[in-house]
Amino acid sequence: MKNPQFNYHRPGSLSEALALLDEHGDEAKVLAGGQSLLPVMALRLGRPEHLVDIGALAGLSNITAGPQGTTIQALVRHAAAERSTDIATHAPLVSAAMPHVGHRAIRTRGTVCGSIAHADPAAEMPAVCLAVDATMVAESVAGTREIVATDFFEGYLTTALRPNEILTEVRFPAWSATAGGTVVEISRRHGDYALLGLACLLDVTEGLIANAALSFFGAGGTPIRVAEAEQTLIGRPPNDETFAAAAKAVTEHLEPGSDIHASTNYRRHIAGVLTRRGLAEATSKIGVPA
Amino acid sequence: MTAVPIGETLDVSLTVNGATVSVDIDPRRSLADVIREEIGLTGTHLGCEHGVCGACTILLDGEPARSCLMLAAQAEGTAITTIEGLATNGEMHPVQQAMHEAMSFQCAFCSPGFMMSTIALLDDNPNPSEKEIREELSGNLCRCTGYESIVEGVETAVKIMGPTR
Amino acid sequence: MAQQTSGLGFTGQRVKRVEDERLLIGEGTFVADIQPEGALHASFVRSPFPHANIRSINVAAARRHPGVAAVLTGAEVNAVTNKFVPFITMDGLYTPLYQAMSDTKVRHIGDPVAIVIAESRYIAEDAAELVEVDYDIVEGIGSIDRALDPSLPQLWEHADGNVLYDGTDTYGEVDTMFTLADRVVTETFTSHRQSNQPMETRGTLVEVDPVTGHLTIHAATQAPHFLKWAVAALTADQSAVSSLRQFIGKKDRRKAFAGAAKDFLKTNGEKMKKADSSGQTYQMKKEKGLLKAMSKMGLGLLAADDYPTVKSIDIGGGFGAKGPVAREDIAVVVAAQKLGKTVQWIEDRVENLADGGHAREEVFTLSLALNNDGTFKALKCDLILDGGAYPSFPISNAATKQLLKVYLPGPYDFKAYQIRGRIVASNKGKVVPYRGPWANECWVRERLIDKAAHELGRDPGDLRLQNMIGEDLPRAAMITGPTLDETNSTKKTLQRAIEMIDYDQLAIDKAEAERRNHRIGLGIASYLEAAPGPPNFGDSVSPGTDMFLFEDGRATVEADGKIVVYTSQSPHGQSHQTTYKQVTADEFGVAMEDVEVVWGNTDRTQFSLLGTGGSRGGPLGAGVLRMTSRQVRQSVVREAANMLEASVGDIVIENGNIHVAGVPSRGITYADVAAKVASTKGVKDGPVFEEELKYEGVGNGGWSVATHVAWVDVDLDTGQVTIPRYLVVEDCGPIINPGIVDGQVRGGVAQGIGAVFYENAYYDEEANLQASTYMDYLVPTAMEIPRIEIEHMETLTDGENDARGTGEGGMIGTPAALTNAVSDALGIEVNEQYLPPARILELAGVIEPD
Ligand SMILES: Cc1cc2nc3c(=O)[nH]c(=O)nc-3n(C[C@H](O)[C@H](O)[C@H](O)COP(=O)(O)OP(=O)(O)OC[C@H]3O[C@@H](n4cnc5c(N)ncnc54)[C@H](O)[C@@H]3O)c2cc1C
Ligand code: FES
Ligand code: FES
Repeated sequence: MKNPQFNYHRPGSLSEALALLDEHGDEAKVLAGGQSLLPVMALRLGRPEHLVDIGALAGLSNITAGPQGTTIQALVRHAAAERSTDIATHAPLVSAAMPHVGHRAIRTRGTVCGSIAHADPAAEMPAVCLAVDATMVAESVAGTREIVATDFFEGYLTTALRPNEILTEVRFPAWSATAGGTVVEISRRHGDYALLGLACLLDVTEGLIANAALSFFGAGGTPIRVAEAEQTLIGRPPNDETFAAAAKAVTEHLEPGSDIHASTNYRRHIAGVLTRRGLAEATSKIGVPA
Repeated sequence: MTAVPIGETLDVSLTVNGATVSVDIDPRRSLADVIREEIGLTGTHLGCEHGVCGACTILLDGEPARSCLMLAAQAEGTAITTIEGLATNGEMHPVQQAMHEAMSFQCAFCSPGFMMSTIALLDDNPNPSEKEIREELSGNLCRCTGYESIVEGVETAVKIMGPTR
Repeated sequence: MAQQTSGLGFTGQRVKRVEDERLLIGEGTFVADIQPEGALHASFVRSPFPHANIRSINVAAARRHPGVAAVLTGAEVNAVTNKFVPFITMDGLYTPLYQAMSDTKVRHIGDPVAIVIAESRYIAEDAAELVEVDYDIVEGIGSIDRALDPSLPQLWEHADGNVLYDGTDTYGEVDTMFTLADRVVTETFTSHRQSNQPMETRGTLVEVDPVTGHLTIHAATQAPHFLKWAVAALTADQSAVSSLRQFIGKKDRRKAFAGAAKDFLKTNGEKMKKADSSGQTYQMKKEKGLLKAMSKMGLGLLAADDYPTVKSIDIGGGFGAKGPVAREDIAVVVAAQKLGKTVQWIEDRVENLADGGHAREEVFTLSLALNNDGTFKALKCDLILDGGAYPSFPISNAATKQLLKVYLPGPYDFKAYQIRGRIVASNKGKVVPYRGPWANECWVRERLIDKAAHELGRDPGDLRLQNMIGEDLPRAAMITGPTLDETNSTKKTLQRAIEMIDYDQLAIDKAEAERRNHRIGLGIASYLEAAPGPPNFGDSVSPGTDMFLFEDGRATVEADGKIVVYTSQSPHGQSHQTTYKQVTADEFGVAMEDVEVVWGNTDRTQFSLLGTGGSRGGPLGAGVLRMTSRQVRQSVVREAANMLEASVGDIVIENGNIHVAGVPSRGITYADVAAKVASTKGVKDGPVFEEELKYEGVGNGGWSVATHVAWVDVDLDTGQVTIPRYLVVEDCGPIINPGIVDGQVRGGVAQGIGAVFYENAYYDEEANLQASTYMDYLVPTAMEIPRIEIEHMETLTDGENDARGTGEGGMIGTPAALTNAVSDALGIEVNEQYLPPARILELAGVIEPD
C-alpha cells in the first residue's frame, strides 16, 4: 500500500495551478487534503500521472459568512469549518455535517471543497449542497463557471467539474431566520461513512412549513432530493403526523442500493426513520443558532 | 512553483519535535514513511495505511493528523510532534504517565496514535466527559484492550493535568 | 521451603507494566522498526481471482524495473523449498500439502504467485504490477453449501471433493438416550468468517551472514522456535550440503535424526507407499505417529547451529494469527538467501485482510435430548468447518475441530454425546486459530439451552443450574474425557452472576424500552476452558499432542549476582515481562528491577512448539519460572549457608538480603554469593547458578471458567444495538496481576462484540472477498465497546502454581451471551452469529430481506 509514481507539482499561484491542469488534462489530479485521494492511490486504484498539490496556494483558505450567504474556499479544512461560529450562524447545515465527516484527524486535513469535488455518494457535504442549493465555483484557464448543485453531482464519484478546473469555492445562499436544519445518519460504527443519511431543512412561517428540503446521501450514486416527500410537507404544520407522511413518501420513492453492510430494504426503511427524526430535530433548531 | 518529475527528489524541510529537519525524498513518500525511515522515529506506527486505524496519528501544527494520509511533501514548513517528542528530560509526558498508571495498553502498537489523539483532545477540552473521550478516541483502533483502560488513562491524565488549562 | 523468602509480594498486585517504559515513549522494537542499512523490501504478486489455473507468468518487465533486485516466481521459490505438512492428523483427514507460493494453481484472492525484492517497498509494488500472470479462471467455492456440492470444481485434485474430513465420535449410548428422552430440541447455527486482526500486521526481516550464511530472522511471531524449525525444515534442500557436512560431524544429532526417521517410516511407511502418483498427498491413518515422528525429526534437526536464529522483541498483537508460519516467511528467506542480502517484508493491511488469517466460519446442527423436568440427557452435533484454501501450519483447523469435539458438552452433565465433524476446503483465505479457536462450542450450546428453556417455559439461568456439574452434581470428568476437579467452578460463577442480575429492574427497563420502540434483553453464557487443563486434556483432543504441552524454563544467577530468567513464550501484548518479573522476584526475594526476563531469541531460550498461545503464559510460563527460580534459590541458599556458617534451614531472604533469621544486619546479597562461586569456579561472567525445567502443570484440573451476562438494548427503528451492561464473572484461580487479567478479559469481550455486531470477512458465493479494507472490515471503536464489569472468583487448590490462563475466555463467552440477549429482546431464536442492524430488523420482522 504505497503510492505509485507521479510527477509532483506544487504551484505557488492559482494561475500556475490552472495552467498545469490545462496542460495535463485527464492525466492530472488536484491534491487538496488528500484524505480521499491518497488512500485510493495507495491502494493503486488511482494513478494520476501528475499530482497538482494546491496546498500552497495563497488566498484560498477563507470563510466569508454573513446574512447574504456563506462562501467556503478550496483550502478550508473540515476542522476550520467545524470551528467557525460564522458558519454555524449562517450555514448551520454545514456545521451540522462536520462532526459526521470521519474522525477529527481526518477533518484536520480534509477540505470541504475536496469532499464536494470527490462526490462520494455516502458523504455528507454533497447532500448538504443539494439541500440548500449551493453553487460551486469552478475556475480554469478559460475563466470561471458557476454550477448549481442540481447540475454538479452527476454520478458515483462524478461531478460536472472538468479535468482542467479547480473548485475554488462553494457558496451557500443566505439562511432564512425561520429555517431549521440538521444532518442525521446511520453508520455501522461511529465516524464511518453513513449507510444512509439525510441533510434536511424546514422553513416555517406562521406555523406552517413554507419550504423544505430532504437531501439523502448513501441512497444512490449521487445525493438525492425526494421532491414528492418535500411536497407533502409544504403548507402543513411541523408535527409528527406531517413528518410521518413525508417519511412514507420517502420510502415509496427512494430506491437505495445494497452492499455488504445493508440491504436496499434496510436503507429504505432507515430513510423513513431518519426523515421523521431529522425533521423533528430540524424543527427544534428553528431560531436556535447551531 | 515546485515541480518534481518522476524519478527525481524533493527537499522537504519541517520541524520535528522541535528540531528542524531536512530530507531529500521521492515526493510520493508518505509523511509516515519519512518520519519512520528517513527521520528514524519509529514510534509512529502504521496499522492500515488508509486512514482508519489511527496508529500513525501525529500532531501537525498542534492538530491531530494521519501521517499515512499525507505526502511528506505536504508537510513542508509545518511543525510536527511524534510520540518521541512528548517526554521532557527523560520524564514522561503526563498523558504517558497516565496511560502507564491506568495500565492502558497491552501490545501498545496502537498507543502512539491514542496518546496523540488524547493530547489533542485535552488541549481543546481539558475536562472531557466519558462520552467525549470515547467519541474523540473512536478515530483510533485498538484490538487488545476493549478501550476501557485507555478511557481510564485519559481520565487519569485529566487528574494529573488538572481540569483547566 | 517457600517460607524461605519473604519477597516483596508482587504476585497478586496490580503492578504497573515494565513494558511501558519503552513502549509508551515510542522506543518499542516491532519488526518494521528494525531498519538495517541497505535492507531490501519485498512485495508479493497475489492472485486477484479466487480460483484459477496459472497458464503462464512473465516477470521480465518487473526484473528490468530500476531498483529491483530480484523477482522470483512461485515455481522458482518452490523449487528450493519443501512442502508444508500441517501437523494435526486424524483418521481419514485429507491433508493438502502446499508450498510457500502457488505456481500452477491459485486458490484464493491474495494467494502469492511471485515475490519482488527492491530497494524500497514503493519500487517493489511498482514492479509487482509489471508481473503478467495469465490465469485460467475456475469457478470459486465461496460457501459451505458450495463446498458440499460435488458438481463444483475441487481445490485439491487428489482429495475426495471439497470435503477433506468426515468423521464421527460417539460417547455413551446416544441413540438410546435420544429415544428415552421426553423431547429433543434442535437448531442449526451459522457463524461467519472473522479475522484476528492484530493492529500490527505480520512481518519478517531476514538477515544473512555474509561469511557463514547463517540466517537471523526478526519476525512478528507468537512461536519463534517453531518458525526456526520450520525455516530449517522447509528450506532444508538449500543448505543440504552444509548442513549435512555439519550433521555428519555430530554423532548425537545423527543418531537423533536417524531414530526419528526410522520412527517416521515405521508409522507412515505404508501410507507413503500409497501416496498418489504426484507424490504430493497421502492420507494419515494414525494420529500419533506422524506427529511424534515429525517433531522428533524436527527436534533432531534443531540442534544444528546452522539453523536460523529467530528474534522477536515487541509484537503488536496476534490473537492466534501470528502462530502459524506464513508462506510468505519462507519466500522471504529464499529471496534473502539467493541475494545474500537483508530482506524485509511488512505485510500491509490489504494483504492481511485477505491472507493474514480468518476463523470461525462454521455450521452446527445441534440436538439436545432432555426430559420435561429439564434434565439433560444427551447431545448430538453435526458440524461443518470451512477450512479455507490452505490449512495453517503447524496447527490446522483439524485441531479446532478436535477441540470443538471435546468442549461442546461444556460444564454440563450429559449421559451421551455424539459429534459428526466435517472440514471443507473453500477458495478463501487460510483459517488460523483465533482466540479460543473452539469458541463456537459455547455459542451453539448456550444458545440451544436458551431455546430449550423457552420451549419448557423455564428460566434459562435455572435450567443451566439444574444441569451444570458442580458440588450438587459432581462428575469426575467431562463425557469427552478430560478430568474435572474443583477448578471447574463454572457453577459458582453462574450462581454469582445470577445474584448480580437485578431481575426486577430488568422487567422495569424492558417495559420502559418498549415505549421507545426499543427492546431490552438479557443473555447468559457459561463455559470452561482448559488453561492449561488436566494432564489427559491433550490426549482427549488428539492423541500425541500431550508431548507438546510442556513448557520449558530456565533461571540463572550470573556472576555479578544478576538474576536472569528465560522463557520460550513470545509475548505480544500479554505483559509477560511484568508478570514473570513479579513471580520471579517473589521467588528470589528481590525487587522486580533485579530480575531480567529473556524472551523471543531462539539462541537464548529453549525450544517450544507453541510459544505464546492457548492461555499458557500464566499457568505454565510463569509456573515453570517459579519452579526453576525456586531451585536456583535453593542452591544459592545452600551456598549462602556455607558462607554464613549457618544451616540451610535458618537462612531467610528479605528484599535481596540473605541472612540468618533474626540477624538481618549480617546478611549477604546474591552478588556476594555469586561472586564467591564465580571465583571458586574461576569464571568472570555468565551464569554461576542455573536450572532448566520442563513443566506440564500440576493437578487434575487447570480449568479457567466464567459466566458472561449481557444486557442489550435494540432500537427497533434502526436495528442498532447497544450494550447497557456487560458482566463477566470469572475464575482463573489466584491472579498474578489483576490489571493484566482484566485487560485480557476486556480485550476478549471486545472481540466477541466485534464478531457479533460489526466484523465479517465477507466473501460472495464465488469467493470474492468483499471486506478487503478497514472501510469494510469493521473493527469496533471506543464508541461501540461498553465498560465491562468483571467479578473475580479465585478458587484455590493445593497446587503451587495455581494461576490458570485467561487469555482466551473473554472471546469464548461473548457471542453466546450477546445472541442470547438479542433472542430475549426480540422474543425469537437467533441462530446466526452475525447481527448487523439490517439483519436485526429482518429478525424482528420490521423489514423483509431484499
Ligand atoms: C477513515 C476515513 C473516514 C472518512 N469518513 C468520511 C465521512 O464519514 N464522510 C465524508 O464525507 N468523508 C469522509 N472521509 C473523506 C474525507 O471527507 C475527505 O477529506 C474528503 O472526502 C476529500 O477532501 P480532501 O480535501 O481530502 O480531498 P482529496 O483527497 O485531496 O481529493 C479528493 C478528490 O477531489 C479532488 N479535489 C479535491 N479538491 C479539489 C478542488 N478544490 N478542485 C477540484 N478537485 C478537487 C481531487 O482531485 C480528488 O479527486 C473519510 C476519509 C477517511 C480516510
Ligand atoms: S496507518 Fe494511518 S490510519 Fe492506519
Ligand atoms: S494495545 Fe494492542 S492494539 Fe492497542
